[in-house]
Amino acid sequence: MNENPKSWTDKLWYLFSSMKMGLALLGATALTSGIGTILPQTELEPDRAEAVSRIWQVLGFTHVYSTAWFRLLLGLLCVNLLVCSMQRFSGTYNRTFKPRPPQNGNDIPQKLRQEIKGSTENLRLKTEKILRDRGFRLIGEESGESWSFVAQKHHLGYWSAFIVHIAFVILISGAILGMFFGFKGTMMAAAGTTTALKNINLSKGTVTQDFGVKVNSAEDRFLPNGERDNWYTNLSIIENGRETASGTLSVNHPFTYKGVTFYQASFDHGVHLTADVTGQTMPIYLRNQGRPFRFPNTDLYLFIGGMMGSPQQPVILFQIYKAGNSQPIQSGQLSAGESTNVQGQYKVTMEGYAGFTGLQVKKDPGVTVVWLGSGLLLLGLMLSFYWRPLLVSGILEQEGRLTLGMASGKIIGQTETEFGKLLSEIEGTNSKERAGLTTDLELKERVL
Amino acid sequence: MNQGLQGLEISMFYLTLVAYFLSMVLYWVWLGVKSNILGKFATALTIIGFAGNTVVLVARTVIAQRLPLSNGYEFILTFCWGILAVYLFAEFRYKLRALGSFVMPIPFLLLVFIVMKMGPDERVAQAIPPALKSQWLTFHVVTAMLSYGAFAISFGLGLMYLLKTRQGVTNQKDGLISRFPAAEILDDLAYKVIGFALPLLTLVIITGAIWADYAWGTYWSWDPKETWSLITWIIYTGYVHARLMYGWKGKRAAWMAVLGFVAVIFTFFGVNYLLPGLHSYA
Ligand code: HEM
Repeated sequence: MNENPKSWTDKLWYLFSSMKMGLALLGATALTSGIGTILPQTELEPDRAEAVSRIWQVLGFTHVYSTAWFRLLLGLLCVNLLVCSMQRFSGTYNRTFKPRPPQNGNDIPQKLRQEIKGSTENLRLKTEKILRDRGFRLIGEESGESWSFVAQKHHLGYWSAFIVHIAFVILISGAILGMFFGFKGTMMAAAGTTTALKNINLSKGTVTQDFGVKVNSAEDRFLPNGERDNWYTNLSIIENGRETASGTLSVNHPFTYKGVTFYQASFDHGVHLTADVTGQTMPIYLRNQGRPFRFPNTDLYLFIGGMMGSPQQPVILFQIYKAGNSQPIQSGQLSAGESTNVQGQYKVTMEGYAGFTGLQVKKDPGVTVVWLGSGLLLLGLMLSFYWRPLLVSGILEQEGRLTLGMASGKIIGQTETEFGKLLSEIEGTNSKERAGLTTDLELKERVL
Repeated sequence: MNQGLQGLEISMFYLTLVAYFLSMVLYWVWLGVKSNILGKFATALTIIGFAGNTVVLVARTVIAQRLPLSNGYEFILTFCWGILAVYLFAEFRYKLRALGSFVMPIPFLLLVFIVMKMGPDERVAQAIPPALKSQWLTFHVVTAMLSYGAFAISFGLGLMYLLKTRQGVTNQKDGLISRFPAAEILDDLAYKVIGFALPLLTLVIITGAIWADYAWGTYWSWDPKETWSLITWIIYTGYVHARLMYGWKGKRAAWMAVLGFVAVIFTFFGVNYLLPGLHSYA
C-alpha cells in the first residue's frame, strides 16, 4: 500500500466503473432472487423451509431477501452505479451544456457522415436554416477560412442513463431508510378497546411514538347485491388522554397519523362481555372461536363457540373450560343483556357483538424516497427511449465543401434515415438553385 | 339482460378462439404458399378475433360492473387483447405479416389453456375482495397488458431473426424465410418494441408497488410474482445494456428477446401454477 497507494484504489474504482461488473451484479441479483422463489422461505413457509437440505439453510437461501449477502449484493450494485455515474458525469455535462464545434474532421461523427459540395455561402445558409427549422440548437464558429458548427436536439436525453442509474440508487436508499427508521407490525383489536402503539405485534423495527389507538367501530359491510363492500374501522388517536385525531379506514384506504399508517388487513367477528367479581367490572372482548379468556386468579377459561343471532339480536354460545380438562365444565347460550354465573366465582354479562379489526401498522419514512426513485427511474427510461439526443456537426471549407455527420447515442438504424432526410433537404434546396452543378452533389461518400 | 350478455360473452369467446386458430394456420400456409389473398384472409381473421376478444372483455365489464381485471380468466383474455393490439399495430405499421405466424400461436395457446384448465366456476364473473378495488390495480393491469403484449411481439421478432439468419439460409431466394423482412430490420424492430415495453414494465412494477402499499402497507414483499417481474425486468435491462455498450445485436440480442419473453410467461403463469407461492390474486 505504501509504495503505490493509488494503485489498489484505482483498481477498485476501475472495477466498479465497468458495466461488466454492473451486469454481473444484476445477473447475480436476478439469479439469487429467482432461487428464493423456488425454495420455500422461512417467513412464508417455516415448516417447508426447515425441510430443505441443510446447506441451503446455512447459505441463507431459505431467507434470501434478508440475508447479509443479498443486501451486500444490492449495496455493491449501488456502489457500481454511483461510480459509473460519477465517472461519466463531466462527460455528459460537457456534451449537454458545452458542445464545441468540431476542430477538425476527426471531431465529426464517423459512422454517419457525408460530404456535400456547393457554394460556400449557400451551404452555410441552408444548413443553418434547415437545422434551426428542425428544432436544433446550433452553435457556429469561424476559424480562419472555414466555418464549423455543432447542432443539438433533445440534448437533455444525454442524461437518461445518469438519471436511470441514480434513480435506482435513490430507490434502494429509500428502502434502507425504511429498514432503519421505520417499523412494521400488526394489531387485532375489538371495537371499543384502546391499544397502546407500543403494544402492537412488531415484526420489524421499534416504536418510538407514544399514543393509543382506540377502535370506535369495526364493521364488515355488504353491498345491496350481497357482495362484500369493504371492512371499515373507525379509530381515534389518544395522546395524553385526549383524542387528537380520528378517521375511518378500509382496505385500500389507509389512515395516517404522524407518519404512522394504519391499513385495514383483516376482520373477525367477536363479542363484548363484562365480568363481575365482588363489585368490580371488567370488559372482555373475545373473537368467535378465538383464543379463550382466562379469569384472573383462577384456572377457568371462557371460550366463544359460536355466534348465532343477528347484529340486532345477538346470541352467543359460550363454554367454560378448566385447565387440564378437554371437556367444557359449563356451557350455554347468552343473548344481549343476559348474565350467567361462572362456577360461583364470576358473573359474566353479554353486552353485544363487537367487530375485531385486523390492522397492519407501519411507519416508513423511506417510502417517499422510494417513490421519488421510481419516478426518476421512469423519467430516465422515457428519456432514454423517447428523447434520443441528436447531434449534427460539420465543417464547411472555403472551397464549398461541407462535411457533416450525425450521431445519436448508439442507435444507428433510425438515425440513418433521419440523416438521409436532412441531407436530401440540404442538397435538394441546393440543387434546385444550382441546377447546373448537380454533378458536384453526387460526390458523396457514405461511411456506415 | 345479464343472461343474454353472458351468452354473448361465451359465444364470442369461442369465436375468438376459432378465429385465432384459423388465422394462425392461415399465416403458416401463407408463408409457404405466398398467395396474397391468403395473407389478407389471415389478417382479416386476426381482426375478427381481436374484435371478438374486445366484445368478450366489454361484455364482462358490463356484467361484472367493473373492468375485467381480477381473475385468471380475465387476465388471460386481457393479455391476449394486449398481444393482438400491439401485433396488429406492428403488422400495419411495418407491413410485417410474417410476424403473425410467430405471434398468433401465443394468444391461441393462452385461450386453449382456459378451455383445458379452467372450470366454469373459474370463468364466471366473481365478486372481488376489497383489496382489488383500487384505481392503481386497474392502471397496473392495463400497463401489464400492453407491456406483455409488446414483449410477445419482440419474442416473435426474435424467433424470426433466428430463423432468418440460420446458417446457410441467409441468402436463400425462395422458401418461407424469404418472406421475412431483412434481418437488420427485424433486429431494429425488436429493439424498438422492447424500448416501448421496458418503460411500461417499469410502470407495471411501480403501480403494483403503489397498490400494494395502499392495500397492505408494503410496497415490496419479495413474493414470487413480484420477484419474477423484477427478474424479467433485469433480463430486458441486460438486453438494453448489452446492445448499447457492446453492440450486441443480431443473434445474441434475438436470443435475449426470446429468453425475456420466457420470463414474462413464467411471471404470468409459472408463478401461479408451478411455484408454491402465495400471490393471492392471480
Ligand atoms: C440497475 C439497473 C440499471 C438500469 C435500469 C440501467 C438503465 C440504463 C439505461 C436505460 C441505459 C441507456 C441509456 C442511454 O444510453 O440512452 C443505460 C446505459 C448505461 N448503463 Fe445502465 N442501468 C442499470 C445498471 C447499470 C449498471 C450496474 C451499470 C454499470 C456500472 C450501468 C452502466 C451503464 C452504462 C455505462 C450505460 C451507457 C450509457 C450510454 O451509452 O450513454 N448500468 N443504463
